[in-house]
Amino acid sequence: MKAGLTTSLLAHAAFLGIGLFTVAPPRAFDVDDVESFPVDIIPIESITQVQEGDREAPEVETPSPKPTRRVQPVENALKTGDNDQDLENPPTPELQPKPVETAVAPKAIEEPAPEPDVKPEPQPEPEKTPDPVADTIAEQEPDPESAELPEDVPVPTPRPKTPPPQTAKTPKTEQADQKTDQVAALLNKEKAAGGGAKRATKQASLGGERTTKGSKLTQSEMDALRGQIQRCWNVPAGVSNAEDLKISIKMRLDKSGAIEGRPEVVSGGGGTGISRIAAESARRAVLRCAPFNLPAAKYDAWADVIVHFDPSDMF
Amino acid sequence: MEQIALAAPGSELSIWALFWQAGWIVKSVMIGLLLASVWTWAIVVDKMVAYARMRRTLNKFEQVFWSGQSLEELYRSLSERKTSGMGTIFVAAMREWKKSFEKGANSQLALQTRIDKAMDLALGREMERLEGRLGFLATIGSAAPFIGLFGTVIGIMTSFQAIAGSKSTNLAVVAPGIAEALLATAIGLLAAIPAVVAYNKLSSDAGKLSARMEGFADEFSAILSRQIDEKLGSRA
Repeated sequence: MKAGLTTSLLAHAAFLGIGLFTVAPPRAFDVDDVESFPVDIIPIESITQVQEGDREAPEVETPSPKPTRRVQPVENALKTGDNDQDLENPPTPELQPKPVETAVAPKAIEEPAPEPDVKPEPQPEPEKTPDPVADTIAEQEPDPESAELPEDVPVPTPRPKTPPPQTAKTPKTEQADQKTDQVAALLNKEKAAGGGAKRATKQASLGGERTTKGSKLTQSEMDALRGQIQRCWNVPAGVSNAEDLKISIKMRLDKSGAIEGRPEVVSGGGGTGISRIAAESARRAVLRCAPFNLPAAKYDAWADVIVHFDPSDMF
Repeated sequence: MEQIALAAPGSELSIWALFWQAGWIVKSVMIGLLLASVWTWAIVVDKMVAYARMRRTLNKFEQVFWSGQSLEELYRSLSERKTSGMGTIFVAAMREWKKSFEKGANSQLALQTRIDKAMDLALGREMERLEGRLGFLATIGSAAPFIGLFGTVIGIMTSFQAIAGSKSTNLAVVAPGIAEALLATAIGLLAAIPAVVAYNKLSSDAGKLSARMEGFADEFSAILSRQIDEKLGSRA
């Protein structure tokens, strides 16, 4: 046994000696240089962060809302417009004077002037050769009196236009002064001049209807919203083939993500038949899915949402 | 401290370094497995030598036994020195035979039984000597992988704890701990594989030797039985 143990110990010592001190650690892997992908991070603020301004205006360095005529800036004004007060909703528009349809006076009919008791001329002088044509023309010169306008032609009076029904949308605000603003807006009979009293004298810069205050939905949040709506959307049968049945629905959301008011079809859905059905289905989808689960901190970004429904994407 | 060692980018990866980096449980598992491996190989060497010697002894004894030498002479020459294998069986049987005849046994059957018993005992003792410690090989062969695996699991566990502490999932941080833990399984397998192979080989060798000795015992028993018949018959 002793011999065996000695042999074994010696063999192990030799083996470990070789293994531990002569065998180098494995060479590190040589990783070939991987071809790199250039990745650019493109800012999309130009799409998501919109300043208030004019849609058609050229881009300028300093943002500016639409210019107003009178320069009387009201402090803390929220809306752009020409009013002295800052109003939530625009004052009652003045009735547009409609072009009065006055009955045109009947055209002077060129009736041959009644022969003013032409007395049979005495015999013409023999030396003067009668020119019958010239005489007739001379005689037929219109009498200016005959073309006089008739005095008693009835003139239709313009029908008074009924003012369009105004729906007083009451935004949910707690502040009392805002409510008084709204009341003032309702009672205001001033000339229509846009919404608020935010003033600028400069040329309007490129921008949207409202300032989005820099918050923007990330792509994944947009996808989440898209997914929420898509779940509720029953594409009407037969619509799938119609490639051009694209509906855009605009909706206003409150802070809890519920729909405020009635979602409105912005584009598409016109006409009859299948496109109307498609528009209705899109609207139903939006209504059924509400309230939407969106980040409350970015309410400014999703207060107004336009959703594009494209049935061809669904298949 | 361990975290820093894990996070160190250029930490050595030689086997020796891996061993020293391991925790005490993994280290003791590795040392235990190494000792088991040493003992296994000691047994293997010992048994190989012993079986070869036994085979030689058997061959020599058979040669002598069947050479026509008288049993009495053979017994006399063998009983004086240390014997092994068939020699031991032969001596045990002859001793029993001699004792019985010196005292004048008269039962044929009892004598035969006694001789067989003596031979069985001698055979058993020889086999015990041959097969002793083979059980250790079997145990190492089956248990060493598990012991190594235990070390690996403990090592990976601690290395994961260290990774969680270092708050980095870089593969360079993860790899050394896992390599170190896997070393335990490697040593376990290193001990187990020779043990299994050697156990199978040695136990089959032992079986062959045992069969040879049993065959000799039966043969010798038959020879002695004939002798008893002749002696008792002539006496009667």
